[in-house]
Amino acid sequence: MRRFQYHAPNSLAEASRLLRELGETASLFAGGTDLLVEIREELRVCAHVIDIKKIPGLRELSFDEENGLQIGAQTTAREIETSPVVRTKYPNLASAVAALGSIQVRNRATLIGNICRASPSADTLPPLIADGAVLTIWSEGGARSLPIERFFVGPGKTILARGEIVIGVTIPPPRPASARIYIKHGRRKAMELATVGVAVSVDRAGGFCRDVRIALGAVAPTPIRAVRAEAVLRGKNITPSRIVEAAEAAIAESTPISNVRASAEYRREMVGVLTRRAIEVVTGALQ
Amino acid sequence: MTRDISMTINGEAREFAVAEFRSLLDALRNEVGLTGTKKGCDVGDCGACTVILNGKPVNACLVLAVEADGAAVETIEGLQAAPDKPSPLQESFMIHGGAQCGFCTPGVIMMAKALLDENPNPSEQDIRFALAGNICRCTGYTKIFDAVRTAADEMRKVRVS
Amino acid sequence: MNIGLSPASWKSADAELTIVGRSVKRTDTLEKVTGQARYAGDLALPGMLHGKIKRSTIAHATIKRIDASKALALKGVKAVLTHENVPRVLHYGSPHPRSASVTKDQYILDRKVRYWGEGVAAVAAISEEIADEALALIEVEYEPLPAVFTLEEAMAEDAPQIHDNGLSGNDVLPPVVVSRGDVAKGFAEADLILEGEYHLGRPTPAYMEPNVCVCRWDGNGKLTVWSSTQTAFMVRGALSEVLGVPLNKVRVIVDHMGGGFGAKQDLFQHEFLCALLAKNTARPVRMEFSRKETFLGGRSRHPGVVWLKQGFSKSGAITARQARLTLNSGAYGSHGPGVTNVGTAALTSLYRCENVDLVGRCVYTNSPIAGAFRGYGVVQTYYALDLQMDEAAERLGFDPAEFKLQNAVREGDIAPSNHPVVGHGLEDCIRRGMAETDWLRVRKRARQDGVKRRGWGVGCEMHGSSAYPGIKEQGNAVVKMNEDGTVTLLTGTAGLGTGAHTALSQIVAEEIGVPFEAVSVVQGDTDVVPWDIGAFASHTTYMGGRAAQIAAAEVKRQVLDHVAPKLGARPEDCVIRDGVILAVGTNRSISLREAVAPAKGMPAAQLIGVGTYSPRKSYSFAAHFVEVEVDTETGEIAVIQVVPVHEIGRVIHPIAAQGQIEGGIQQGIGHTLSEDYQIDMKTGRSLNPSFVDYKMPLAMDMPPIRTIILETAPDPGGPYGAKGVGEDPIIAIGPAIANAVAHAIGVRFRHYPITPEQVLAALREKKSGAE
Repeated sequence: MRRFQYHAPNSLAEASRLLRELGETASLFAGGTDLLVEIREELRVCAHVIDIKKIPGLRELSFDEENGLQIGAQTTAREIETSPVVRTKYPNLASAVAALGSIQVRNRATLIGNICRASPSADTLPPLIADGAVLTIWSEGGARSLPIERFFVGPGKTILARGEIVIGVTIPPPRPASARIYIKHGRRKAMELATVGVAVSVDRAGGFCRDVRIALGAVAPTPIRAVRAEAVLRGKNITPSRIVEAAEAAIAESTPISNVRASAEYRREMVGVLTRRAIEVVTGALQ
Repeated sequence: MTRDISMTINGEAREFAVAEFRSLLDALRNEVGLTGTKKGCDVGDCGACTVILNGKPVNACLVLAVEADGAAVETIEGLQAAPDKPSPLQESFMIHGGAQCGFCTPGVIMMAKALLDENPNPSEQDIRFALAGNICRCTGYTKIFDAVRTAADEMRKVRVS
Repeated sequence: MNIGLSPASWKSADAELTIVGRSVKRTDTLEKVTGQARYAGDLALPGMLHGKIKRSTIAHATIKRIDASKALALKGVKAVLTHENVPRVLHYGSPHPRSASVTKDQYILDRKVRYWGEGVAAVAAISEEIADEALALIEVEYEPLPAVFTLEEAMAEDAPQIHDNGLSGNDVLPPVVVSRGDVAKGFAEADLILEGEYHLGRPTPAYMEPNVCVCRWDGNGKLTVWSSTQTAFMVRGALSEVLGVPLNKVRVIVDHMGGGFGAKQDLFQHEFLCALLAKNTARPVRMEFSRKETFLGGRSRHPGVVWLKQGFSKSGAITARQARLTLNSGAYGSHGPGVTNVGTAALTSLYRCENVDLVGRCVYTNSPIAGAFRGYGVVQTYYALDLQMDEAAERLGFDPAEFKLQNAVREGDIAPSNHPVVGHGLEDCIRRGMAETDWLRVRKRARQDGVKRRGWGVGCEMHGSSAYPGIKEQGNAVVKMNEDGTVTLLTGTAGLGTGAHTALSQIVAEEIGVPFEAVSVVQGDTDVVPWDIGAFASHTTYMGGRAAQIAAAEVKRQVLDHVAPKLGARPEDCVIRDGVILAVGTNRSISLREAVAPAKGMPAAQLIGVGTYSPRKSYSFAAHFVEVEVDTETGEIAVIQVVPVHEIGRVIHPIAAQGQIEGGIQQGIGHTLSEDYQIDMKTGRSLNPSFVDYKMPLAMDMPPIRTIILETAPDPGGPYGAKGVGEDPIIAIGPAIANAVAHAIGVRFRHYPITPEQVLAALREKKSGAE
């Protein structure tokens, strides 16, 4: 069904109320680059579209050394991609966001929208998980924080209750001797959904790995942290054989499906190759 | 429900009524009657519907017309200074074979315009990156890149002189 | 009309041409770059309704019950069509009905469904959204039938028959058999015999403008159709036949169209349905495919298998060639016969072999419909042929380019059309490409051990301009001189967007002797322009151009007859240059404008020339030289650069010719590496009918292309010796890439598309084989 009603509330309270009252057939609308597509391709029944772009205070894009990077619900992918502070401090997020569709799409798509869509192959999710991002969720009862890795429960499914709205995400400031990367695997260089996405953020002292977080996209029902792969490196010296071992552990933690984009076997293999390459780059980067 | 909206299109104020579920693309083509912007896929995959909305290139198919109430929209029809005076970018596409069937052309030119507005001296990689979301099935892209590069060179000359 | 080597035929390469051969500013592109060009979907008529098609969600079934009552009851819906209320006329669905190329096996709407996504009903409503909602309200009860999706399944003994055409085994047509010489003897003499099975996937044209048409009946019962089609007169003919309306009551108008690549030759269901909806509602109706429908309801390239066996002498000659081509037609025949014939016959040539035994089959399956697509069967068969030649070169110890050069078709050889080849275009292409790429040196590089490995490959092809002899084509043109000396060309050729009309204008201008800007073109209206078979088979410049040249020559003759006396000279002593008529050897001249203008009391002379041309065939040639890089950890293949060398007789418009080559390369890279329109092999459901998952190379993926065009083998049948170029590039690029991959990693693939996963599997196998 392609006909729907359009609502443009002026406050979060009103938006939340509409969500609760209108129920299952109402969807929040920010960039619309997923929502409108799903409506047109009949993947989602939507009788009410609730535009949140008229609500003030949701356009945050700022950084400070104490709180890190704060991004609001209306901030577009293109704004994030081109932000000098994001490019220098969070190059993994910048490259992930730059991989989303085209410039035309990124001028509308929002990071929060991409997060809430909860696609297992979304590019932005692995770097956010690898950097320990925290979501701010608003509801009538008040706002709460939630580490992003607890947000996803299945493909397209999150822990949000009806009436809750994600209004921002905060990414902690990068530690002084840390490096981060996101590598996307796809069948062409742009306009592509990831067949595999690997984010590695590492914090080290010389050749010693103080902390590492490895997040994988498109290889499980949700984006995941490869905790066993992390355990291979955390608190140890980084050696080529440990890197290979970590990559292999990452493969074992992946449960990809086969579809028209790639087979499960190939995805597993790419998890190994890209995890290895990602770790090599971020550990090499600090020399 | 139908709403009355108004926007500036190519510098001209336009008012019209449109269904609230209609895209900006459909509104431009139907309600406003500007058919230069094309519908190649209606889901943001091809860039044929690229327009410039409040200074930013977007896929008009993924913008609701009602969202553009009060906005400034630039379409292909507004690019030339006069009906018989194409812009340097349009001229360049004509000379260098940047258009064959022409269906992707309005979207490609508008995206190229947005690129050159922001970056008057793009490298080939910049041009490719900017046009990543514009599908062309006729030209193989080679002459599109030629046309954009030459137009950029021409436009910089004009500015300098 | 005597169409021999008349003065209006090609001029030798020495003759000075001032317009032909230059990249003049294309006349049609001003409209395109300003957004003024009108495509069929841009048309809005008062009271216009919107039509939509309901598509089946089952691959093979009879329709037990179809109930449109709820849809009709929806506010805003004006008409619904099902198989119960449309004419039941078996038709070709595809034009050129009096040729051997197409199949008569479609109804507008049938009681049977033969592939997932076939149209089963149509709706007209006051808006697209309401039409869409109405589709969901049409109730259809299907009685499933066993479905077959692969060639094996379809050709099995007990396979369900998809059509009742009197042939067994789901054959679309009786097998095509071509044989020459004695293959048994040839194989017996061979020092090396190679045999291989080549598997060909399903690329699809993916033109940017989705299929669309607008239909309106006027008060006199005349139907006007604006359509995005390559074959306006065929649409007219098919509609006339199926709807029972005389030809002079059907008018088809094609203004601009957004790409076709062959696939818009067919009449899709929507053109019939749109006309019927317009009739039922007495209102204009527009029917536009969604992008998804261009996949579901469009036409793809024939997937299939080529089994190829060749014998070679150790001196490098080919002693025998045996091939079995089996193409997957999908649910309907469309261009199955033409593609099978042309693809099979192509194997008699390209690389010389006196002994050939070829059989081509085309088989129905419950899959998406395959039809005409740039390259028309030759993409498939030359992929196999060139790859096997490359393999033979390696086995015999020859360089592949030299091996292909040695065996390249030569002047005088009989081409697949049964006519002798003119010139040595293929040899010229190979030699030139080898020089340009420093071929022997780049091929001699040491084997690489790194993760990323590079290689160079060459792929060759030849292709005919025109569909002769499969179809007896005809191009017609009318050239009028206006009373101010400007010229109007009326041509039936369609405006696909290739720049053909600019080329035709150049030819007319050159022939008459007026400036290029003095010629304008009227095209695309079947009421106005002369009959034309349509734009396909790379024949627009060759056939349409020649007809235009003949008509222009006639006008010039009339002008000179009319004007020469005014100059006190004989017509044969006058020339026209740049719009001025000169009596050679004197200083007497007069401008065309003055010469043809009405004088006081005297009307202007009526100066009209008519040209008709039935082409034979001419062959264009190409050799593509390609460098690739393979990432041996991810299996990804990147094309680093392409040097395509094409011989096309005479270039009318260099930039337009290059554009055809570069565009064909984009499609061919896609075919070979990433494009495959796939279905679920249990249900027949389309898996990737969208740009997200049908992967074409885009701006970030395309390699630099250094196009080289040769004019060493002009054809006397073409205007100024020109031949076609539209299909050649898509045929040569695929083999070049596959052969380059073989050079890079030592693995020879025998299929397309070659996916990264397959590359990794092959490398693993190679490694374990070596251990």
